[in-house]
Amino acid sequence: MANLKELRGRIKSVASIAQITRAMEMVASMKLRKVQGKAQSFHPYTDEIRHMIERLAGHVSDTDLPLFQQREVRTTGIFLLTSDRGLCGSYNSNLLAELRRTIDAIKAEHPDRKIKFFCYGRKGYAWLVRRGFEVERFFVEPPLDKANFAAAKVTGQALVDAWQQGAVDEVVILYSRFQSMIRFVPSKLQFLPISSIAVGEDAQKYELDFLLEPDAATVFNRLMPRYLETVIFDAMLQALASEHASRRMAMKGATDAAVRMNKQLKKVYNRARQENITKELLDIIGGASAVQ
Amino acid sequence: MASELHLRVVTPDRTIIDRKVAAVSFQGVDGGYGILPHHAPLMTAIGSTGTVKITELDGKQVDMFASDGFAQVQANVLTLVCEAGEFAHEIDMERVKAAEAKAREKMVGLDRLSEEYIKAEASLRKALMREMLARKNTGTGALS
Repeated sequence: MANLKELRGRIKSVASIAQITRAMEMVASMKLRKVQGKAQSFHPYTDEIRHMIERLAGHVSDTDLPLFQQREVRTTGIFLLTSDRGLCGSYNSNLLAELRRTIDAIKAEHPDRKIKFFCYGRKGYAWLVRRGFEVERFFVEPPLDKANFAAAKVTGQALVDAWQQGAVDEVVILYSRFQSMIRFVPSKLQFLPISSIAVGEDAQKYELDFLLEPDAATVFNRLMPRYLETVIFDAMLQALASEHASRRMAMKGATDAAVRMNKQLKKVYNRARQENITKELLDIIGGASAVQ
Repeated sequence: MASELHLRVVTPDRTIIDRKVAAVSFQGVDGGYGILPHHAPLMTAIGSTGTVKITELDGKQVDMFASDGFAQVQANVLTLVCEAGEFAHEIDMERVKAAEAKAREKMVGLDRLSEEYIKAEASLRKALMREMLARKNTGTGALS
């Protein structure tokens, strides 16, 4: 028979856990909303950049564009976006499982290819280090939580530099895409060399009905770094939104479970208490009848 | 048809301006541009230290700082897409001073041709441009 005092203690601790997880759920919702707000005010910028690229793409040929040059891939760079903190459900583990698959696939297909890692977020870094992978660069400042466009700029620059100096021959971004409040898909994105934009012959031709100064290639080459920054920042925002949404869901689950458990414990507690009272009553009655 | 031009200034953080103005002038990579209403379609890049002068519909002048971006004119809409942009009266003097001091400190003892030096110099130039704009703005008191 469960000890009454012990039960009381457990009820109390379960209740306080529910309180904490509920608070965390609310914090996560708020942060999620903030990230979504950021994403919204960022959209016009991306749209403009993309629009300009579209208008120009037909008027440049890829020989003028260093960032489009494919070369033989001896080293793959993987840019991994995870969270700094845990308690966010399967967010990190799903992503890291995808990373595992990606690494295995590359190793199976090209046994002598090297892989270099660039990390944002402590969880991914810890995962890689624990498994003996070497991390080329681990971005810590500013924490992803506070990431702004400047952070995306610095990160993008580091990746572009690594690619240009030949440290890596292609860069892939691995992050969680935010699909809805309950769906986040681990995704891979080819970052460098740029392959997501059609140029030259393949591009949809827009008539060159505007003045262009100094010339198409110059403007286009200035646009590309900006474009890459928007890609990074977008990935960051998606990852952040996924993290917060995932944490919100996990904490909601935890709160619900704690509340359910609390209910059950209370039932057990009350039954035990009732039993005790009955037993005591029986004792008293028994004692009283013995005296008579 | 009134002579007006629609100006949009878009940065990653927000859309700063989205309204009708009378004229705009800014620094492109290869020289200054003055855009009046019904300008021919145009696309160009903005240099790393730019001031944008806006003439409002009532003739008032407003200065803005804008850097690292692009300008395009299409159908009487001038869109400036830049990485950073703020109105002269929004410029935070303390931050600018701090940035200036940091840049100057960095430049000490660096090789004049090194990449770091050039980067520091660029940020110094940005800080000075901001400072100049802010000074000018408080001096004339055009905007409160």
